[in-house]
Order: sequence, then C-alpha cells, then structure tokens
Amino acid sequence: MNTLATPRAASEANRRFAPARMRRTVLEMAYAGSTVHIACAFSIIELVTVLYRDHLRYPGNDPRAEGRDFLVLSKGHGVMAQYACMRELGWLDDSHVQGYFKDGSELKGLSDSRVPGLEVTSGSLGHGFSVGVGIAMGLQRKGSEQKVYAIVGDGELNEGPIWEGALVAAHHQMDNLMLIVDKNGFQAMGTTDDVLALGDLSAKFSSFGFETLEVDGHDEAAVDAAIRRLWATGPGKPKALIARTVKGKGVPFMESDNRWHYTRLNPQTFAEAVDALGLPGAST
Amino acid sequence: MREAFSNALVRLALADPKVLLLTGDHGYALFDEFRKRCPAQYINAGIAEQNMVGMAAGLARVGFRPFVYGLAAFIPVRTVEQIKLDIAHDDLPVVLLGDGAGFVYSHLGTSHQSTEDIACTRAIPGLEVLSPSDRFEMTASMDYAYATKGPVYLRMGKSDRGDVHSGPLQALRAGGLLQVCTGRSDRPGLIATGSMVRAAMDLAQALELSLWSAPVLKPLLAEEVCAAARATSGLVTLEEHSVLGGLGAAVSEITSEHEPVRVLRIGVPDRFSEHCGTHAYLLREHGLDSDSVRAKIEWFNRTTRTSVSA
Repeated sequence: MNTLATPRAASEANRRFAPARMRRTVLEMAYAGSTVHIACAFSIIELVTVLYRDHLRYPGNDPRAEGRDFLVLSKGHGVMAQYACMRELGWLDDSHVQGYFKDGSELKGLSDSRVPGLEVTSGSLGHGFSVGVGIAMGLQRKGSEQKVYAIVGDGELNEGPIWEGALVAAHHQMDNLMLIVDKNGFQAMGTTDDVLALGDLSAKFSSFGFETLEVDGHDEAAVDAAIRRLWATGPGKPKALIARTVKGKGVPFMESDNRWHYTRLNPQTFAEAVDALGLPGAST
Repeated sequence: MREAFSNALVRLALADPKVLLLTGDHGYALFDEFRKRCPAQYINAGIAEQNMVGMAAGLARVGFRPFVYGLAAFIPVRTVEQIKLDIAHDDLPVVLLGDGAGFVYSHLGTSHQSTEDIACTRAIPGLEVLSPSDRFEMTASMDYAYATKGPVYLRMGKSDRGDVHSGPLQALRAGGLLQVCTGRSDRPGLIATGSMVRAAMDLAQALELSLWSAPVLKPLLAEEVCAAARATSGLVTLEEHSVLGGLGAAVSEITSEHEPVRVLRIGVPDRFSEHCGTHAYLLREHGLDSDSVRAKIEWFNRTTRTSVSA
C-alpha cells in the first residue's frame, strides 16, 4: 500500500469529482472492508464534490500545505465520502480502496486527523466543529485569507459543544468559517424529528448570529451558488449552510432507509447498488 | 505561588506572541497582570469548557501555543474526551491549567473539588502531568510545559503552604524526583506532590525521614523511584488526590514491577467529601491532616520493621 503522505500532482483528469463515481468508490470501500455508514457518506457526496472541486484550495495539491483551506468533517461517520474525494485528488489509490479495513490499514472507519487530508479526529460527535472554530480563530488572528468549512450532521446538533462553538464563532465574528449542516433527517436510531426535534435550523443559526442559507444538498450548482452567496455576505458573521439531503442518496434502495447506517454489503446488494449508480462498465 | 504562575505566564506570552491564554470565564484577579500586559493574547472563551478545549486544539493546529485555564474540576475532568481526542491524539502543544485542585474550594462542595484529575489524565497517551508544590516548582513547571511542545496538564492545588525549596530551581527533568529532606535509611521515605509536600517536610524533619517532591507525575522515572525505595525501608506517598490512579498508584506500579517494597498510599480515600468547612477541616475529614498522616506513617514504620524481622 502506498504511503498516504505523498501528494501527487493534480491533473484535470483526476479532479473530475463525478458524484456517481465517488459513490462507487464508497461502495467499493464498504464492500472491500465490509463496513457500515454507507448512507452517511452518500448524503454528503455532492457537498464534498463541490467543496473539493470548486472551493478548497490545496497549494501544490498537498493535503498538509500550510496555506490550505480546512475541511473539517465533524460528522466523522461520512468519512468514506472524503476518501472518495481524496482518491479523485490522487491522495489515495486503488490499494487504499481495496485494502480498506484490512489488518494494519491506515484508513479508519471514522475521520482520523493523522491521515493527511483529514483535519480532525471525529465520530465522537461535537468535537470537529470546535476544532474548526479554533482553526478559524487562529487564521483570523494571523490575518489569513484561508477558509474553514465544517460539515456537521443534523443528528450531531444534539451535542452541546456545537452550540458553544456557534456562540463563540458569532461573538468573535468569524467570517472565515462556514458551518454546513448535512440535514438528512436521520440519526442512528431514527429520524431527527422522532429522537430530538431540531426545529427551524435556519432560524436557530440566524438567531445565533450566522448568515444562513438553505439549499438542496444534492444540487451541485445550487450548492456552489449558495456557498458563493454566503461568502459574499460580507464581513463580521460566520456562515451556515443548511443542506437538505437524503440519507443513502444515489442508490434507491438505500435512500431514507436508516438500515444503511448499519448494514454491510453482500455480493448481491453490492452489485445492485453499483448498477443503480448507472456508471458505464457497471458492477462486473 | 499564584504570583509565580502569573509572572511566568506573562513572561512567556511577552516573549512569544503565539502564546494565548484561554479561560472558561475563570481567573478573576489572577489574570489582571496578563490582561494589562498581553490583552491581545487573552481570550475568555465563555463558560463553555468543551468548546474551549476543542478550540485550543484548532489554534494549536495553525501554530499557536494555547494555555487553557479552568478549575481542575472542569479542566481537565469535564473535558477529558476533548483532551484525549482533540489534543493528545495529535500531540498538540497545548498546556492545560487545572486550578483549585484537591480541596481548595472546601466550602463549595463536590462540584468544585477535584481528586480524580491526575487519574483521568495519567492514562491519556502522550499527556504529561505536572504538580508543583511551591512557587519555585511552579515557575519551573511553566517553563517545562512551554518547552515540552506537546500536551501537558499542570495541576494547581492549594497554593499558600509556603516554600519547599530555598530558591529558584534548575530546569525540571522529565520524571525526575527532587530530594527535599534526607533522613534515615532504616525508616520509610516519603514521596509527595503538590500541596502535600510542605506538610510532609515538617513530618520528615520530626521523624528523620527522607522526602522527595514529585513535580512531574508523568512521566515518572522508574530508576528514581527505585533509588528512593532502595535508600529507605519502604515508601509513603502523599497527595491531595484520590489514592486511586494518582501519585501513589504511579509509584506502586513502578515498585511492584522493578523494586518490590511496601508502599503506603496516603491520599483521599475512595469517597466524596461529606461536609464542608475550611481546607484544614476537609483534610481532617479525609485523614490528610498532619496528626492523621503522622499516625499512618508511624504504623507503617512499625509494621514494616515487624515484617522485615519476622
């Protein structure tokens, strides 16, 4: 297996970020490693696609470049979506996909900051956002133009530190920070409405002092436009993008079926899921 | 001791603009000097300790040197998971300052008392644990924490016990014990930390016992503990912390593996405070006042001799 830390030159060819191909990477990893959390990755595929393709800056295509923008995956359960992006960037290769979860593998089932390209150790929820707030505060103090994006699950909003961090981000006018809520409506044991109703998220974050927009989290053009609009809102306020998403998006039999938070693929469901993506060449 | 702390913090911050002080809305008066001289490096993160520790990790990631201050009941105890995951896992240079450790807030009850913080932090990989006993150890501990460039927990306990050392110390050594008194080799030796060192001095002098201060609780050098064991008839540990997981545990772990001797752990029994009162009152309640400690040491000395001669 290749060493993870070696960045390779980006070319247009490996910066294609086609969502269907990225979902296929997720399926390949999940199948190779017999892992769970497929649906959690699928709901953020378009979000990370737009971020990596159009917004995140990695000077020299180096995941550890000092001048990079920071993507903090606070909902660490979606990490396979980020691995799929890292494969598109050439930071991971087929050996990482096929070797996922094999003994001694470096890529874990949740975000781990020791992996170049991942910024935080998360999965224990309510951690990554606070670290992102600290990074944003540090960049602000340095007068840097770098930006921080933090993807937070809607279930993760149950965690208290998220709201502590939201207060601090607004108080310190962190206009270099964008919170992106993956509002897929589910958490581990049910819908967010059934478990712990979140109410009007836009109103909540607006009242905390964020510039807030809602968007269809699977419409790439709309997501891109919303991110640009939020950054254009001017100084002094942190940004919140509430992305309405579908857990399991892209494979009809997984969509909004919370079993795919936990279910592992078998040869048949793997083949059916890959077919459902409609990629040329399909599952065989 | 608190002045030594404040002076060291101001000195480090003036010398290095990357030093930041984060406080969870605590430190009234303590930070007057810092706020006056380094106002841009002072961040009151609000009564939000979990976020504050995560934020310190983020600041450290982009090159800052955060010192995170709170009461020991909150920094580290309330935020153990943030310290483990956000800071220690990445070996980030963050100094965690836990004030009022032990029974400093004797009248306020269990919420503000902290007798489990050493146990909580010792088991976190890569996190060093400091526990200075007087102003000279405090200054040396602050310098050590800054120079470590990794995660450090600095425990600040009862600070008005007076001096243990006669003057400024050399740089602290990782895991090194500082000999304070030299006593008889046929009697137990004392290893104490933090607020208990000064009290142990009086007993050591009265009973002709050797005494070492342990300002660095983790790492703790096995060879130094073993040398103390060999130089005495057995070891007594003293700490204003639970007998589980603190200095007594650390010493016992070393001696049981490398230099089997009897170890008497004097600390807070496995229970919460029942009543409130002065600090001296709570020490009595938990058997940590000087009469109780003396009686325990004398019993240990008698029974050690018995077992040796038998």
